[in-house]
Amino acid sequence: MADLADALANLDEDEVRRLVREKIDAGAEPMSIVHECRKGMDIVGERYKNKDYFLSELIISGEMFKEAMAVIEPMLKAGQQSDPISKMVLATVKGDIHNIGKDIVATLLTAAGFEVYDLGIDVAPGVIVEKLSETGAPILGMSGLLTPSFESMKETVKAVEAAGLRDKVKVIVGGGIMTEMVGKYVGADAFTNDASEGVDMCRRFAREGK
Amino acid sequence: MITESMTPEERIRAAVDLDVPDRVPVVPLMGQFALRYQDVPQTEAYRNPPRALQALIDTFDALGGYDAVVGANLLWPRYSWRLSAAPTRMRFPGKGGVSEDAQIQAMEREIMTLEDYDTIINRGWNGFCEEFLPRVAGRPLEKIDALQKAILEISLGDAKAWSEHGVSVLGGSTTWSCTMILSVCRTLTQFTLDLYRRPDKVEAVMDAMVSDLIENTINDIRATDNPWVFFPLERGSGFYYPMKIFERFGFPYLKKMVDAFAAEGFTTILHFDTDWTLNLPYLKDLPKGKCICELDSTTDIFKAKEILKDHMCIMGDVPASLLSIGTTEDVVAYCEKLIDIVGKGGGFILSTGCECPIDAKFDNVKAMIDTPKNYLPAN
Repeated sequence: MADLADALANLDEDEVRRLVREKIDAGAEPMSIVHECRKGMDIVGERYKNKDYFLSELIISGEMFKEAMAVIEPMLKAGQQSDPISKMVLATVKGDIHNIGKDIVATLLTAAGFEVYDLGIDVAPGVIVEKLSETGAPILGMSGLLTPSFESMKETVKAVEAAGLRDKVKVIVGGGIMTEMVGKYVGADAFTNDASEGVDMCRRFAREGK
Repeated sequence: MITESMTPEERIRAAVDLDVPDRVPVVPLMGQFALRYQDVPQTEAYRNPPRALQALIDTFDALGGYDAVVGANLLWPRYSWRLSAAPTRMRFPGKGGVSEDAQIQAMEREIMTLEDYDTIINRGWNGFCEEFLPRVAGRPLEKIDALQKAILEISLGDAKAWSEHGVSVLGGSTTWSCTMILSVCRTLTQFTLDLYRRPDKVEAVMDAMVSDLIENTINDIRATDNPWVFFPLERGSGFYYPMKIFERFGFPYLKKMVDAFAAEGFTTILHFDTDWTLNLPYLKDLPKGKCICELDSTTDIFKAKEILKDHMCIMGDVPASLLSIGTTEDVVAYCEKLIDIVGKGGGFILSTGCECPIDAKFDNVKAMIDTPKNYLPAN
């Protein structure tokens, strides 16, 4: 089934639609089709790292993946969806309404096999802590594009600490103006301004947490 | 303190002309920070323009002054939004439960449909706007025109106030690129899909709109009598797109516009947000000494100097995070490094990386303003 992965990696939308439909009609196990799509997304990620692909290709492949999943997901058996490599809570923090970067990362994380609880934009620390408690997610990703988001991120990390969750949760912050200084200031475990790199960091956190 | 032998206007002109000024000019992009520093809520920029202007002038004075302002007030980018740029869904402070002192932010919403592309192709950008703007704004075109005219009048008055204060305003028009307009109106994701799914259509749309954008900018500048074009480029960089996309959909239209502005005698401030490092070599094909390459700290400014040093003035790029949470020593050290390396041989204006952040520390901003007044580079 390498052809589906290749079609997705080559951003051939029509071919991906055709192959997904063909495999479903031929009675292929839905989860195997998901794995093929994920393999295609992995190839996209590699090409991005090698600078053969740009953010635009991450966006397009992410949209193709979402479209394929919309067809496949209703066919997955109960329980199959809940076999993620890790859970993760994701949010653009309080006071900031930028969603583009967060949405791209959410799609890439889902494609990488994470179960993503995307809380949206302008999310208060208490809401984030509540979701971490409820889901037991061991990774928190916070996004922001404006400098006031630094204080919101810092407050959220403090709220995670106050809830007694800090040693159970790895915190990664992302956004166009993130720097090492900002990561340290807000008390994060990692920072990035690169969506693909962010996914790799979360993969590492997931492996370390197992 | 360096002994000054030029006026601020001469200093900036020398930098744009790629000459060596008496000292490096400093021109921060100042707006929301000034209001916050003066305890004036952000809402006042829109509800009480005279109070906002006073806050800007008072902050200018408190900082010891700098060489020019980019735009007379916080309204100024909007007087040309009638036709030179695009309507944007904004989250204004003081509305919908948002704090009076919150930062204004743009919302990513799809306000232009695929069918709209055909209208632009058939009617041009200006013809399309006659139906598009009322639809998006939810009010008749006459009211939009009246509002735009009122903003223009306020901005002209504020520019006069700056002039009376002895300060030049670098901003007679705000003009967006075709990519900026379409990406913001379609959303980044949809526009990116359009570029890959229907490239010929997108190209036809851009072909149909670019001459209107040029004409509108020229008309703006006739109205403001201020030959500085502020050209925000937040979308379309090599951070987003491969060079083959930029070569077809980005650079040809950018060049067409900048060439037209240069022919009119305008100076264009190319306000590059996100990382444009890969795109820098193309800028050598823009007219020499007629533009400013203004960077936000994500593009490699030192690489920009290497590539553009004999061709285009560079402006920037003290990072927002440094001004917001860094130390004064860090700010001074970074500004000195910029002056040493990017300022070498002239052609450099020190500035904030994008706008001065709303929550910048006053001492950090002051340190940035003071450094070129005091620091004489070794070279």
